[in-house]
Amino acid sequence: MTLERIPIRVEADDLPMSGNAPAVLREIGELLHRLAEEGVGGAIDLRSLPFLPGDRVWLEERLGCGEVEISLQAGGLSTFSETRFPGVWWVVHRNPQGAVVSEQVEVTRVPDIIVADPNDVRNGLANLNDLISGLS
Amino acid sequence: MTMNKNAKLLENLEWQGVSRRTFLKYCATLASLMALPPSAGRAMAEALAQAKRPSVIWLPFQECTGCTESITRSHSPSIEGMIFDMISLDYQETLMAAAGHQAEEALHKAMQDNMGKYVLIIDGSVATGLDGAYSCIAGRTNLEALREAAQGAAAIIALGSCAAYGGIPKAKPNPTGAVAVSDIIKDKPIVNIPGCPPIPVVITGVLAHYLTFGSLPELDKLGRPKAFYGETIHDRCYRRPFYDQGKFAKSFDDEGARKGWCLFELGCKGPVTYNACASVKWNGGASWPVEAGHGCLGCSEPDFWDAGGFYKALSMPADPLKMTAGAALAGAVAGVAITVANRAKKGAAKAAHETTTLADLEK
Repeated sequence: MTLERIPIRVEADDLPMSGNAPAVLREIGELLHRLAEEGVGGAIDLRSLPFLPGDRVWLEERLGCGEVEISLQAGGLSTFSETRFPGVWWVVHRNPQGAVVSEQVEVTRVPDIIVADPNDVRNGLANLNDLISGLS
Repeated sequence: MTMNKNAKLLENLEWQGVSRRTFLKYCATLASLMALPPSAGRAMAEALAQAKRPSVIWLPFQECTGCTESITRSHSPSIEGMIFDMISLDYQETLMAAAGHQAEEALHKAMQDNMGKYVLIIDGSVATGLDGAYSCIAGRTNLEALREAAQGAAAIIALGSCAAYGGIPKAKPNPTGAVAVSDIIKDKPIVNIPGCPPIPVVITGVLAHYLTFGSLPELDKLGRPKAFYGETIHDRCYRRPFYDQGKFAKSFDDEGARKGWCLFELGCKGPVTYNACASVKWNGGASWPVEAGHGCLGCSEPDFWDAGGFYKALSMPADPLKMTAGAALAGAVAGVAITVANRAKKGAAKAAHETTTLADLEK
């Protein structure tokens, strides 16, 4: 059972904000500027910042949803959602039990982990060739 | 299960069905937890993939096995579970099948085979009273076992507040003469990973750093890895904005508590406690003490057990137990210092016709 299913909530009046979210948005802007100019992005670890529920909602609303949604099943579900700003991804890694282990805003053209590794491609090719040679 | 001890880490993981992407995800998460730049995740993955599994010898001394519980209760196959694939855990009394003479033989064989190269993990404090006789394993004192095992170790990890600082066994009046590992061993690199218990991923992170960079991570003045103990609980706390706004819970069931306000006035030690609970959390990231509505006890700081009441706000005068010279002596022998001091306080209160409250006793 995930924690979200426990029907107890801390009361919060109008989802309070810490004031940290606008600073994070500016930092994302800096990273995207660097990606555009130098081809090098970066990442911001959202779980290591003092964020109140309102901050998260504020940031999610500002970044919005883009065209690409990638899910990865590797040691638990990971989701990579491109925001309405191409190159800015909202990344959530979960463990096999479904708990979030890492949440980041990644600024990159394609998240590193998605790209197939040359060694894996070679192994895959060998497996595929085995399959093909077994065809009558 | 048999794994090739000489195989590289990623080969062993792949042999167990762990994909490269799972491994990359693990490294990315670990790098972010260690406050390393995002690019370090890839570098770490490349180095770890090539790493050979080092021999690890884990000795328990005056401890409650809570540290082992913490590591082994992590949700497999999680980040923390993977660490057991990264190392060759050659001796761990709670986890190993061998017992008695077999276990002792395994310990000495591991030490001889890996002389000068193994990582020694200690959990629990070292009893020094009566020449260490308060805590013995296989007829030998912890003191002897530590000195012998430390000789051949490349590095020592003092796991948990007991090994790092003496912990609860060292709490006043410390009847067994408990001390930290670093009080005994002076000529080896020692990493302290305090906490009662410590967060599983911290030990994983230290071992991953050792395997990746071939060195121990940067440490603070108390010998703790800065990556995890670099900031206070308070600095990373999600309730911190309420502290800044002056919104405090005054009891565990008032309006402030229900609204999730800051627990400072209920005794939270977050502002003086360096640990990663606020960002890493516990039980597979489910929650952590402050999120559950209780202040931080400060368990990763030295002598947290004797640092005043758990429910006393940091802003209140500490007023530690005042022992007279006579009472201190008596305490050292018989452990009655607290009784003596409290009796004196109660006597004084009685004389002044005051009522002794629970709060008085806690002071």
